[in-house]
Amino acid sequence: MISFINATCSFRKNAGVKNLNFSIDDGEFVFLTGPSGAGKSTLLRLIYMDLFPEKGKVLIRDYDSGKIKDRQIPFLRRKVGMIFQDFQLLKDRNVYQNVAISLYASHYKIREIKSRVYDILNQVGLGHRVHHKPTELSGGEQQRVAIARALVKEPIVLLADEPTGNLDPRVSIELMNLLHKINKKGTAVIVATHNYSLIKRVPGARLIQMNDGEIASIT
Amino acid sequence: MTILWFLFKEGFKGLLRSKYSGAFSIIIIAISIIMVGFGYIIARDTLFMVENIRSQFDVDIFILTTAGSDDIAVFDKKLRRMNEIDRVIYISPEIAAEKFKKEFGEDILDILDYNPLPPSFTISLKPIYRNLMSVEAIANILQRDSVVDEVKYRKNFLIILEKYQRIILVCVLIVFAFLTLISIILTSNSIKMTIFARRDIILTMKLIGATNRFVKTPFVIEGTLEGGLGALLAGLIIYGIIYVQNTYLQSFFNYTLIVSYQYYIGLLLLGSFLGWIGSRQAIRRFL
Repeated sequence: MISFINATCSFRKNAGVKNLNFSIDDGEFVFLTGPSGAGKSTLLRLIYMDLFPEKGKVLIRDYDSGKIKDRQIPFLRRKVGMIFQDFQLLKDRNVYQNVAISLYASHYKIREIKSRVYDILNQVGLGHRVHHKPTELSGGEQQRVAIARALVKEPIVLLADEPTGNLDPRVSIELMNLLHKINKKGTAVIVATHNYSLIKRVPGARLIQMNDGEIASIT
Repeated sequence: MTILWFLFKEGFKGLLRSKYSGAFSIIIIAISIIMVGFGYIIARDTLFMVENIRSQFDVDIFILTTAGSDDIAVFDKKLRRMNEIDRVIYISPEIAAEKFKKEFGEDILDILDYNPLPPSFTISLKPIYRNLMSVEAIANILQRDSVVDEVKYRKNFLIILEKYQRIILVCVLIVFAFLTLISIILTSNSIKMTIFARRDIILTMKLIGATNRFVKTPFVIEGTLEGGLGALLAGLIIYGIIYVQNTYLQSFFNYTLIVSYQYYIGLLLLGSFLGWIGSRQAIRRFL
């Protein structure tokens, strides 16, 4: 489903990633670990094509980083869900609107938007928080809104960049359990984290260890 | 339909969400429109004033005293057939004597015992022929007629008027273009600030797979609304200023400001256009 073929992407100030060669299959759960600056976020940005490799290529289903056109990128991103450490929610909209916007952007019909949003919010345990603004929610709840927004369009893969970075240990474990549950339903999940204790929460997950922009090991 | 409704709703809500930056934009646009609006009135009235002066320009044709009434009638018809002439007034020696009496207070017959004033015509040319070149050409044609003694017009008046009209026209155009340019820059920058304050929305939209058009449209609608509201505010202020001028200051300045409702519609369209173009330009930087 996702393939990195000799992918290299460097920056002026830091290394980025070098010669990445690996694949991720449908429905896999993958942890990306490594110290800060190891290239975890760069790798994720290459998947949702916020960055492009200067050498090699990245393939996500039919989308090829070397051939994709600017106007096709939104369509790729509708197949890739993303969550971030800072949640990136729209603070002036309520929970429902934050999730629904994802479907409006994908041109869904209003009736389908309503049923999908309520359904996903119930799944992440936020059915009772529909009309609250993000600022009225706890960190864990905000991250669950972000997950709901990512999942509502039924992506093929969910990318999580340090999703527990702003959460306390208990909420982090709850969140990891939720991601595990999502994965069990068939969505591939890639989590970039340097919190090794979380990795144990998902038995059978693949672990890609990165160091200085390169893959140190895959287990 | 869902998507269109959503984008329009987002545009309207965006205006409410932007609060201070939106209000600031509306005020800046209003100031810009007031500048352009008054620039237009000044330009229009200056050119109107020049044209008004020009419209008072007449050509006098003095007829030979030897010409018979039939010759004068033929010449009268000839004048009225000429395409360049707007108005023809025949002044007989008797009318000329009356005018003399009115102007100088004495009867010319009492002074000289006879009326030496020749019959004459006063003609007004159509606006497009009220220039030195045309007047000279028409005067030459008329001068050649056998009944005409002399064709008189204020040549120096036309020379000065044309010289100053050109300077006034250039000045008015420069000022108007400058005001328009300033208003475009101000509008674009204020809308850019509004969008910059909410760039996180653009980033989030792009991450969730929104196309550029989906991201752009609400901001463009919001910008157009800001432009329209700015113009509305400007229109109200201009209306107030005109009201005060015409009600309380008219006698002081001896000047009446007149604008039609089309002028206000024009301002509204201009404001909306500035908002539309400004927001399109501004959002481009963030996509």
